[in-house]
Amino acid sequence: MTSLRTRTSFGRVAALVLTLLAMPLAGCATAGRETTAAADDANDPLEGLNRTVYGFNQIADFLIINPAAEIYRTVLPDPVERSVRNFLRNLSSPLVLANQLLQGDWEGAKNAGSRFVINTVGGVGGLFDVADGMGYPYQHEDFGQTLGVWGLPEGAYLVLPILGPSSLRDATGIGVEWFSDPVNILAENNGYGWVPITRGATTGLDARNEYRGVIDDVRRNSIDPYAQFRSLYRQRRASEIRDGRSAPGGTTEFPEFEDTPATPAR
Amino acid sequence: MTRRFFLACAALLAIAGWAAPPALAQSADRGAAGAKFIQDLGQRAIGVLTQQNVSRDEIRREFRAILQEGFDVPYIGRFVLGRYWQQATPQQQQEYLQLVERMIVDIYADRFAQYAGQDLAVDQNLKILGTRAEGETDTIVSSQIVPANAPPVAVDWRVRDRDGRRKVIDVAVENVSMSVTQRNEFASVIQRGGGQVEALLQALRQRVRAG
Repeated sequence: MTSLRTRTSFGRVAALVLTLLAMPLAGCATAGRETTAAADDANDPLEGLNRTVYGFNQIADFLIINPAAEIYRTVLPDPVERSVRNFLRNLSSPLVLANQLLQGDWEGAKNAGSRFVINTVGGVGGLFDVADGMGYPYQHEDFGQTLGVWGLPEGAYLVLPILGPSSLRDATGIGVEWFSDPVNILAENNGYGWVPITRGATTGLDARNEYRGVIDDVRRNSIDPYAQFRSLYRQRRASEIRDGRSAPGGTTEFPEFEDTPATPAR
Repeated sequence: MTRRFFLACAALLAIAGWAAPPALAQSADRGAAGAKFIQDLGQRAIGVLTQQNVSRDEIRREFRAILQEGFDVPYIGRFVLGRYWQQATPQQQQEYLQLVERMIVDIYADRFAQYAGQDLAVDQNLKILGTRAEGETDTIVSSQIVPANAPPVAVDWRVRDRDGRRKVIDVAVENVSMSVTQRNEFASVIQRGGGQVEALLQALRQRVRAG
């Protein structure tokens, strides 16, 4: 128990340090030109470091994460897996609700609040996502997105150990959420220090399984997986910040090329 | 919210197709034609992929033929090289286009096969949700692909109309553009290779040899 506690507080200190580090850096990045994921600029001044962490993550994935996720997938029947995902999502709905409010998205806040009540009461503590069928679909929101909605630029691209692709802005979001998650705070204060850790680990395994298709695809098809993950992550985050709406006037241009030759002979 | 929005779009599209007065227009026509183009393309692709008693090589050959017909592969290849196209010598451009076309067809075929369930009819598998005009020549056809055992995936097809000849020039999965991703990746390979297009060609050659 004590060792678990110690680890938790270590995690918190690490998150705090990360947050403090990220804040001013994200601020610095404001000075630069805001880049879109569509631009050729990869927004990756720390690429050397990032590639090292990426390499480390690949090894960790090969040795531990993927095997664990595979066991998780094999042992748990599909409905149980879905229920675990539903449960984890329900646990995070207070945070989603808070972020929707912070973003001024009243519709979204209504959606998140309704989901939490409906699934907690009618979905047996969140094990079943009955709200989805009632017109309240799951929407993923986090504090990184909120910062984006507030106009904070993404800051340099970052690869976090184990957690993977991120940015200064999104890492800041992760740090802030680590401290403000009501479920974790409640658990900690009541002496259930194992709750945040177990929850974090399960969320990680679930996420690894959720992204399995994409990860396998990139590994099969890419000639520079690092660059492809970076591009996927940045485009995805930009889309999440817009809640899936298409960018106003900021979509990629698909010009007609004057110099495109005819299809070469095969 | 999004679901309702999509439903509204679908309903609008249906109404536009049936009841729009001719004056109401070209863009609705273009949208309907684009939607039909994607629907047909999806139907044919799934038809090929789900054939019984046909060798895998034959299926692959037919699928490639459909891709070449429905997608502007040379355009996509040119797009994903971005500004480095001008840097390449004519020979490099030639070689690049040959290599990249193979790669693009491979990747699109791979992805399509991953998403398309083996035993579902196309009208269950690929749902057209709506269309919107993008500039003078392009139509974005929004669709949903519903895999057998997974949540639906939002897929937007960018269809370019050149005097009535339609071709897909980009596919965005959950708002992530395949062309943009590829362009970013190629740019990275070239930058890491000292800004030389040759570095990319080398990687592509290797990939084609391995594949």
